[in-house]
Amino acid sequence: MTVGNAHATEPPTSSNSSALKGGGGCPRPRSRQVSSTLESSAIERLARHLAARTGAARVVVRELRRLRYGAVQENWALDAVFEGGALAGEQRLVLRADPATGLSESRDKASEFAIMRAVHGAGVAIPEPILCCAERGVIDRPFLVMPRLAGDADGAAIVASPPVARAAIAARLAQELAALHAIRPPRAELDSLGSPPNDAAQARIAALTRALAARDDPYPVAEWALRWLIRHAPPPAPPVLCHRDFRTGNYLVADGRFTALLDWEFAGWSDAGEDIGWFCLGCWRFGARLNEAGGLVRREIFCRAYEAAGGAALEPERLRFWEMLAALRWLVIALEQRDRALLGGEPSLDLALTGRRPAECELEILMLMDAA
Amino acid sequence: MMRDRPDGATLVKMAAARAAHEDRSLIERARAIAAREQAAGEAPLEACRGALVALYGEGELEALLRRLAADIRAGLFDAPGVRREAVHRLLWSMTRQKLAESNPDYLRDAGIV
Repeated sequence: MTVGNAHATEPPTSSNSSALKGGGGCPRPRSRQVSSTLESSAIERLARHLAARTGAARVVVRELRRLRYGAVQENWALDAVFEGGALAGEQRLVLRADPATGLSESRDKASEFAIMRAVHGAGVAIPEPILCCAERGVIDRPFLVMPRLAGDADGAAIVASPPVARAAIAARLAQELAALHAIRPPRAELDSLGSPPNDAAQARIAALTRALAARDDPYPVAEWALRWLIRHAPPPAPPVLCHRDFRTGNYLVADGRFTALLDWEFAGWSDAGEDIGWFCLGCWRFGARLNEAGGLVRREIFCRAYEAAGGAALEPERLRFWEMLAALRWLVIALEQRDRALLGGEPSLDLALTGRRPAECELEILMLMDAA
Repeated sequence: MMRDRPDGATLVKMAAARAAHEDRSLIERARAIAAREQAAGEAPLEACRGALVALYGEGELEALLRRLAADIRAGLFDAPGVRREAVHRLLWSMTRQKLAESNPDYLRDAGIV
């Protein structure tokens, strides 16, 4: 629905302030149309919640609009004016909310928030998480709030960048990934992730086997990949914190430069190879097939930069295993995405079309196997 | 599956129902898949069934595909040999055909014509 008025409210515990009358340091909020599919009352509750959480006397939501970015989570551009408090002034934010139907691998918002705090604290370039609301009483679903950073995540545009820009983006991504993988268990603040798997490869094979067995439709190429994975599983490596959706399309680039890594809903303890294999999967090269590392540079160049930044060396056989696993995992996720549209009641043509993408994964599987 | 869901007809219906809410590119993609599927007709399905019949004997396509998936899972085609090669060829053929209908650009980018 389109809401005709801006939503300004005071936190229930706060007394009125001079800022409300225009006498404070903050600009006086003005009425402006808010376009959103959130109910007006939900936006009012959101404004109250933001005020209470940040110590603001009042928050005016100027704009709340759904961003196209994000195939699973709902990301909203949230422009608001905070009168006082920790975020005093005009803020350009992202509100990231659980969708009506999610994926089996998706973490809850409290866990995603804890991961983002730990990752940000480790110096990895991500939007600094501001707050998490795990309750459903504000906008009817849990959400996170973070700054809206400059940049675009359009994969096709990124891989079409000039070679020098692509090389610089890849080098920076390798550094960020090495810094992420330096986060090792145990970490008390990441207890919600559960115990790290003793053998990430075997744990992933078992999960994918279960996921395929639970489906009604037969997927012979996926079964073919499972057999290969079972025969080629590498010995376990020390677990590290992995993004688990590390790919072109999930980081921002502004003016040809990397700015931030996004989308932490799948992160967890795993083998570092899982992130690099996923990054190199053909499906995430946006047509730039020869640049195996995210459509940016050759695989070897990325791996060298990763090692130079402190990441562990990854033998080609180990990487091939994780690429194969990535192809199968994306196939299973694509089917789950499709089910959200066909069975889960999310009327999205984009999600429905994802149901035709398993064939891309099947091609990657067959090509990887023939190259092995 | 030989043809992944949703099929072309369903996609066209969804595209019509969602025309006011979705990107033009998605609408066009849905229609293009449906058109390619219609142009291909039943021939790819029959060709796939024929390859499965050669492997297993007569049967319906879906039942034969189920059997193939179950047999692969059970490791019946792990050993090198003629039967493994036949399955390998069939999987390639199915995948090529699926992409030719769902996303021919992907095949072209991968250098497979």
